[in-house]
Amino acid sequence: MGITRRDFVKLVVGGVAGLHVTPLPWKLTDDIAIWTQTWPWVPVPPIGAFNHEKSVCTLCPGGCGIKVRKVDERAVKIEGRTDFPINPGGICPVGMGGLQLVYDKDLRFTSPMKRVGPRGSGDFLPISWDEAIGILASRIKGLRLDGSPERLVAIDGNRRGSTLSQLISRLMRAIGSPNYIRCASVEDTYWMLNVLMQGREGPIGFDLENSDFILSFGCGLLEGWGSPGRTLNTWGMWHEQDRKGKVKIVQIDSRASNTASKAHQWVAVRPGTEAAFALGLAHVIIKEGLYSNEFVENYAFGFDDWTSSDGQKHLGFKSLVQKKYSPSQVADLTGVDARTIETLARNFAKARAPLAIFGKGKALLNGSIYEFMAIHSLNALVGNINMPGGVLVHDPLPLKDLPEFEPDPIAETGLKKPRIDEADTKKYPFTEGLIYNFAKAVLGSSGSAVDTLLVFGANPSFTEPDGGLFSRALKKIPFIVSFSPFRDETALMADLILPDHTHLEKMEEILWPPTLQYPFYGVSRPVVGPVFKTKNVGDTILELAKALEEPVASAFPWNNYEEALKVRAKGLFESGRGLVSYEDQAPPWEQMKKGRSPKPEYTNFDEMWDAIKSSGMWYRPIHSFKNWGKIFKTPNYKFEFYSTQIQLAIDELSQTTDKPGQTVDIMAIRASRDEVFLPHQEPPVLPGKNSTYPLVMVLYEMINLSDSWIPSPPFLTKTWFDNELRKKDSFAEINPRTAKQYGLEDGEKIVIETPSGKAALRVTLFEGAMPGYVFVPRGFGHIAYDEFLKHKGVNPNHLVTTAKDALSGLPLWWTTPARIKKTV
Amino acid sequence: MEETHGKGPRYGMTIDLDKCTGCGTCMIACAAENNVTVLPDESDKQRNIAWMLLYKITNGKPFPHTEVSYFPRPCMHCEHHTPCVSVCPATATRMDPNTGIVSQIYTRCIGCRYCMAACPYHARNFNWYDAYFPKGKGLDKYLSPEVSPRMRGVVEKCTFCHHRLMRAKEKAYAEGRRELEEGEYITACAEACPAQAITFGDLNNPNHKVSKLAKSPRAFRLLERLGTEPKVYYLSSKEWVRKLADNYRPEELQPVIKTKTG
Amino acid sequence: MEKKTNSKNTSVVGGILFFLAGFIGSLIVGWVIFPMVLYSKQPQPLNFSHAIHMDPERVDGIEGDTETEKCLFCHEFREDGTFAGIPRLSKCTECHDDPDSPLGETEEEKTFLKTYVASEKEIPWLSYYQQPDCVYFPHIAHVKMGELECKTCHGDHGHLAQLPPYESNRITGYSRNIWGKRISGYKKHTWDRMKMDDCAECHSKMGHEENNACFVCHK
Repeated sequence: MGITRRDFVKLVVGGVAGLHVTPLPWKLTDDIAIWTQTWPWVPVPPIGAFNHEKSVCTLCPGGCGIKVRKVDERAVKIEGRTDFPINPGGICPVGMGGLQLVYDKDLRFTSPMKRVGPRGSGDFLPISWDEAIGILASRIKGLRLDGSPERLVAIDGNRRGSTLSQLISRLMRAIGSPNYIRCASVEDTYWMLNVLMQGREGPIGFDLENSDFILSFGCGLLEGWGSPGRTLNTWGMWHEQDRKGKVKIVQIDSRASNTASKAHQWVAVRPGTEAAFALGLAHVIIKEGLYSNEFVENYAFGFDDWTSSDGQKHLGFKSLVQKKYSPSQVADLTGVDARTIETLARNFAKARAPLAIFGKGKALLNGSIYEFMAIHSLNALVGNINMPGGVLVHDPLPLKDLPEFEPDPIAETGLKKPRIDEADTKKYPFTEGLIYNFAKAVLGSSGSAVDTLLVFGANPSFTEPDGGLFSRALKKIPFIVSFSPFRDETALMADLILPDHTHLEKMEEILWPPTLQYPFYGVSRPVVGPVFKTKNVGDTILELAKALEEPVASAFPWNNYEEALKVRAKGLFESGRGLVSYEDQAPPWEQMKKGRSPKPEYTNFDEMWDAIKSSGMWYRPIHSFKNWGKIFKTPNYKFEFYSTQIQLAIDELSQTTDKPGQTVDIMAIRASRDEVFLPHQEPPVLPGKNSTYPLVMVLYEMINLSDSWIPSPPFLTKTWFDNELRKKDSFAEINPRTAKQYGLEDGEKIVIETPSGKAALRVTLFEGAMPGYVFVPRGFGHIAYDEFLKHKGVNPNHLVTTAKDALSGLPLWWTTPARIKKTV
Repeated sequence: MEETHGKGPRYGMTIDLDKCTGCGTCMIACAAENNVTVLPDESDKQRNIAWMLLYKITNGKPFPHTEVSYFPRPCMHCEHHTPCVSVCPATATRMDPNTGIVSQIYTRCIGCRYCMAACPYHARNFNWYDAYFPKGKGLDKYLSPEVSPRMRGVVEKCTFCHHRLMRAKEKAYAEGRRELEEGEYITACAEACPAQAITFGDLNNPNHKVSKLAKSPRAFRLLERLGTEPKVYYLSSKEWVRKLADNYRPEELQPVIKTKTG
Repeated sequence: MEKKTNSKNTSVVGGILFFLAGFIGSLIVGWVIFPMVLYSKQPQPLNFSHAIHMDPERVDGIEGDTETEKCLFCHEFREDGTFAGIPRLSKCTECHDDPDSPLGETEEEKTFLKTYVASEKEIPWLSYYQQPDCVYFPHIAHVKMGELECKTCHGDHGHLAQLPPYESNRITGYSRNIWGKRISGYKKHTWDRMKMDDCAECHSKMGHEENNACFVCHK
């Protein structure tokens, strides 16, 4: 029997009819619908038990309390802690984005590495920890055997007085190298100011919360200033509608930054003339008798003209200011009219607790010492030093120093060699590290003054100014070791990587956040286990010391980093009365003012340490206000408008130099005679606007763009406007009037050129930019990291041409002569 | 107004623009909380995704009188004739009558983007690309299981961190409660704001701070004259800021009455 | 003529035959072969006897008036109200870290001790009732607040001595239990199916129509 076409049709019809009484078509339709919704490459986050772990953020010195939401062992969210005194609730964008710094594998080193490709290529080979530490130890041992341990140099970005920085400098001393170079920050300038005017070694605290008039000299309060969590929280508090007593915020800034815009008053002062502006205010305050007689008469030195014991007549602050800084003189220099200066001065002096604050931008980069002195003079004039709502004078945190040890003879010899960067010498007696001088010395040496460079917590290849001077110096150094957890620019130049944990993986101490008005110490704890084969740098140093064998090893008797932390923290316990929790109590700044603070809950050191480890904090909201007769530790026991410390330093230098007449020049001071010892406006050292460079480039900082050695978490890329970054181009802000001179439209491409180099970017026309200036954000232009940051925008650090700040020798960051050219 | 209005909670938000510093933490808290993808090029503002988006505005005055300010913009969760809901052909977006929250169901969305055209606030984002979680890069390690990651071709938007409401309810149930206390459920942006500019709560509950703030003379809403009744209120004492919130006729904009509260 | 009629008759019969062949063939494909092809079977990594573990004689502390209370002994709620689901190894070792406990007799038990307990490795159980990622299901709302019994949705498997093999839909990747064991989708008991409509049906029946809003069960 053959099958006809007809039969076949019947078979098919039967088949189709049959299918319809099976579940197949209906089930298949359903499944296919689901299939279109579930794509295998869309991640499905694993479920598990939720928990919150408390810690402290260590991405910046700000010390914000964080709680990390976890699903089993994975961290899935970072949140602010409400049971934390610094940032009750919120955190900054960088801290919020911190998860990506932990988990983005391309941002990090996943294990110890040695370089296999050319420097900068990022070509590394994973090695074991034993091998890595062995390589470095044998190199250092070799240097010691050669009798040249000083050819080992350490660059350290950790904070002054931190246990890490003490361990690193101790290691350097035990090995025998004087070349421990700490990266400078604004804290160094604060420190210097404190030494020079108040005779104190310690941090300075601004009692923002209790002040009613904030005169901010370019402080980017909303750009990530000081401890951003605290500053922003304070900002919110200032703007509470039902707050008792209003606060007035006046911002001195050359562009309409967020702070300037949101402040009650914006005073647009030409960048670099802030000292003159402050002294102009001082002029008015003195002239109109608005200053605190009590303070100036009894507790200040050098206000009036005076005669020294040798019969020499000296200029006083009053005379200097009256002579050189009248509102009309200042108006010419700063571009602010005299009437504004006069009104502002009166408003400031008449406020209940007026506070002049300093430290530009994020208060990250070092400042200018005479400028700080000029501004701080205002606080002195109104008698708001060590007063509620003023500048508080403190001792440093009562941490114990690590016990002394004896360097061996090899080390002794090495330590006698001169420092390569000349910091902490008679030439720069107030400075702990001068990276610029280091780079210059390396480039200037014919052979190899430096054999091995260790880099801790810093990315100078990116952050240092002057056309990549530092990176060029790196090329001449035979062996570079990076301890960075991140694949940053400096680490890519390294030959050996000993990667640190990231912030969520490690125990770390947090020292007194910059500008905070009460002593604070914190400890972060590992909230996630190490994601990769990294090691806490504190432990790495201890292991390295062990591998270096005796006698270096015996200088490091601790089994782990925590033991070293504990040795120092004993001092906190002995100082007494520190609190280790923050719940339902008045904020510390209120407790201090009221003089009431609860009793600590612990009875011995171990209890205290355990409490600090779990709560993350130790703080002491107790302060003895005013006390003007005792707080100043200058030779006169007075606040010094006229700094005898400067005099001392200059005298010492002139005794050792063969050209005593040029001492002031050596210290890069441009003023002369008595002005050298008084707050004053230093004349600009770089050529001002001229025909070659008719414009001035000014750096600015953004709270949502990291410009430190920590990379911006990729989340931050969402928050950048497309006139800040567009594809690969970053922008320069210029005033439309300036743009018109160059025939520039919004978004057009330009080349900016400074004495240090040139770069291509786009312009964004912004009415809030001071005409004649070009404003460039700091933090773009990485050539390292991954697709989120690499090759995006221009790194203006390399365009900055720095002059040396007087006395400190640190770079002057903010202004650089520049010219721009339209490109097509 | 919908008949359901007034019965249950009506979750809403106030954003104090006098306090807002433009730092962007709300945007990042939102993205981290809600598994929002970060594309390698986020400068492509036509294609990137931000549930909470910061708008920068200026008063347009010449130097040195220029001022900038910011509008953080989540989904407005419009109470009345919710524009996106009324156009969605797939019923992928609805206003929940129990909470006032406008939902978005990604598995239901067909990607026609009609809702995006309808939304007067540009609060909706389309997934032009696959979410960026390359294999082995580790970015998927921090994804939260509380929010379902989206696929290419669907629309997503702010959900008022709806999963946090669920989280709060589960906690309350565990403790044997059905009612939530004020503050038990707040959005990630409100929680994260370091200047406490964002307040979240039940607009229907007169005891909640948010409902008091929403009645402040400083309060206004975006494009109010459209009648969409957004549940996000802004507070500002600056007239130029308020002016930019709608196409006001000159006589319409009332100057802010200075009062002591809210 | 006759021949023609004849041939017509045979062709009618033959026609029906062909139709039936197709029809029946499809029935076989649809009802028998299709489910076999659609689902892949996977054994659980280890057998687990619910029957033994539900027995108060054998398990210390598993008691309670209702079966639900017994289930919650291992399938517990966490403090934050979330549901732990399939217990982690740590739950097993709460009891099974005792060397005197009757374990290690069978091969399965040896594997359990050697492969998992000794090396602290989680047992990769395959979840029969895993809803897709877009679904949010609060057990606490149903079990504690709604006083629903576990078996309402999960069926009465507390007496099973063997874990059935896990079946996964090759197209969707879902567990077979979501659609239900019957390929027809026919639902006799409440636990026969776990699709969205089943949730909605129950909500409506219980008078919780408002819980059928999208953002109650979707995330």
